[in-house]
Amino acid sequence: MDARERRWLYVLIAVFVLVNVITLSPLVPWQKWLLWSNPEPQARFTVEFKDYTIQLPAGGIQASAGEFVEFTAHSADVTYGLGVFRKDGTMVFQIQVLPGHENRIVWKFDTPGSYDVRSTEYSGPQHSKMFYPDAIRVTQ
Amino acid sequence: MTTRLGWIEKWTLRFAVVGLLFLALSGFEGILLRIQQHDLKILQPMEEVLNSIRPVADKPSSAELYYSMMTAHPIVGIYGFAYLCVFGAFYFLVPFLLKKEIRHKKLVSANFWLQIAGVLICWTSGFFGLFNALYTLYWPLPVSYEQGVPLLGSIFFSVGAAIIMVNILLFSYNIFSTVLSKSNPRSYSYWQFLRSALGISRLMKWLGKEDKNAPNLDYNGLSPFVVAVARGSIDTVINAVVLLTAGGLILVYGLAKLFNVVLPPGAVDALAYKNWFWWGLDMVADGNVLIYTAGVWYLLIPLLVGRKLFGESVVRTVIMVDLLVSLGVWSHHLLADRTQPLVMRLLSGQFVTWGEFFTMGLTLFASLMTIWLARPVKLTAPLKFVLGSMFGFMMGGAAGLIQANVGLNVVFHNTQWVIALHAHTFLLTGLATLLFAVIYALVPMLTKLEIRSQRLVNLHLWLWLAGCVLMTYVMGRAGSLGMLRRTLYETPNQFQPYTLVAIIGSLLIALGFVAFLVNLVSTLGWTNVLSLVVPDRWLEKRKAAAEA
Repeated sequence: MDARERRWLYVLIAVFVLVNVITLSPLVPWQKWLLWSNPEPQARFTVEFKDYTIQLPAGGIQASAGEFVEFTAHSADVTYGLGVFRKDGTMVFQIQVLPGHENRIVWKFDTPGSYDVRSTEYSGPQHSKMFYPDAIRVTQ
Repeated sequence: MTTRLGWIEKWTLRFAVVGLLFLALSGFEGILLRIQQHDLKILQPMEEVLNSIRPVADKPSSAELYYSMMTAHPIVGIYGFAYLCVFGAFYFLVPFLLKKEIRHKKLVSANFWLQIAGVLICWTSGFFGLFNALYTLYWPLPVSYEQGVPLLGSIFFSVGAAIIMVNILLFSYNIFSTVLSKSNPRSYSYWQFLRSALGISRLMKWLGKEDKNAPNLDYNGLSPFVVAVARGSIDTVINAVVLLTAGGLILVYGLAKLFNVVLPPGAVDALAYKNWFWWGLDMVADGNVLIYTAGVWYLLIPLLVGRKLFGESVVRTVIMVDLLVSLGVWSHHLLADRTQPLVMRLLSGQFVTWGEFFTMGLTLFASLMTIWLARPVKLTAPLKFVLGSMFGFMMGGAAGLIQANVGLNVVFHNTQWVIALHAHTFLLTGLATLLFAVIYALVPMLTKLEIRSQRLVNLHLWLWLAGCVLMTYVMGRAGSLGMLRRTLYETPNQFQPYTLVAIIGSLLIALGFVAFLVNLVSTLGWTNVLSLVVPDRWLEKRKAAAEA
């Protein structure tokens, strides 16, 4: 290997280490609980997907800011996605909802307010209608 | 001016011309999809007209039509445009560089017609059959007939896909048997080739157990381009076999349903299917595209700048590593699947994917160093497009590494970022620009005709690149703000300014493509273009009549 190639390889290695260390570290806030700890959730909610509808828990989803909440999603037919969005449309988190599997995620909401739920995976032409505004209410 | 084209030259141009027609079709579909993404109702008058020729009892909804077109769009673009151009280029270049003829000549025409037939059947199953399960075919969606997936559309799509995959296997067989045939500096058996291609021979040597009789793929007189074609074609074969099994499965369920036999979709595990499907599909997206691209750069750049490839021994190793990496990256498509084991998401999904950063980084370095050391270089049409393609692979690759990250994928998965800034930058700015470079380089080689207008070349380059960057970056920005792919938003919505700019970008791309076609046809002349589709004896009769 030529000295110039070796120097370039060192640059590539440095970029690889830097980007991976930063993005796996708690500098990405949710890595704290998705990767580096296994927090006990203070609330648990089950969400059911079937025939292009999302069935939310009977009393709705209410959580407190700063507490850990576990979402478990089931699908009775095809693959869907459970996506949570802020009111300005930006995404908070998402998971795939595979039929025949228990799809779980633990999340911590930092900011009080209302959040929308939308299916994030294509499941057929009616998929775009799977939108539930203000499905989650997070209080102080 | 007419020029007498040889047999393989004519076939190469046929592959290229039909490939470009498929690009035009795919591009037209892309513009329609962008317009509907902006406002779903805007194309309803056109839909009314087209519905009158569709053999369906109930009028399909705009959403059904949108997703049917979205299902056909990548098949036409990738297996129609890209694969046909690759077939044509490789059928000329591999024998040319090995100084021997293609092994099975009859397969060349068979590949041409089968690919066209397969792509058109898939397209028809979307246009007429309204099959709308998208290219991802997530199980059990393609067989969810109770939820509105059209049965006949599903069967026809599977048949079309199967024809394409079998045809790709035939092409790969022809390329392998040409490369490995006995007239090489040293011949290989298929098993010896596979051992060598996967680096097992080198590993054994490193472990002190060298098999002195094993041929060495990298130091056996083959050019880096041929080594890349041979190694990339292993990915091509795996891709075709895996997709063939997925298509076969859908076909079995479809035929069973047709004969009123109910097969339970739950018999196939959705996660296992997804792993299998993406492992195979990634052999294209993260496999042969990158390896073939590297091979073409290694071939074209030294030819265009008149200097030996920089770091040739390193790039041969890079091609091997690229093949090994491509076998293990598929989990980056399953980062949002919490049921996929974390170790798989981290290792295969994130870290192995970074292997492409190293292989592509070293490939780009070798390519750019070759150009740098050859200064002063003349910026010919193919060289300009080669540089454009490098830009595309850098930008698309960087976007890909951001989304293929266990942490960041939480907010990027399935957004416009993925399909626009990563996939379309790769495909349009990277791959298509490279295929244009190949066409600009090959046309003078094949026909002895110089490209007619440099002004049109420049217009093509800048309109194409500016359009691609505008379209993909604005949609990537929308994706970072939460706009999902494969989702139709009610209008008005906050993403409409972005989709409007993306439409302008796509129109610039189309204008660039028109400049290219005008230049290509005026370079070849209508007689030469006609000679690709009209038998020689007809043209000779016409010429004789004109002379008389």
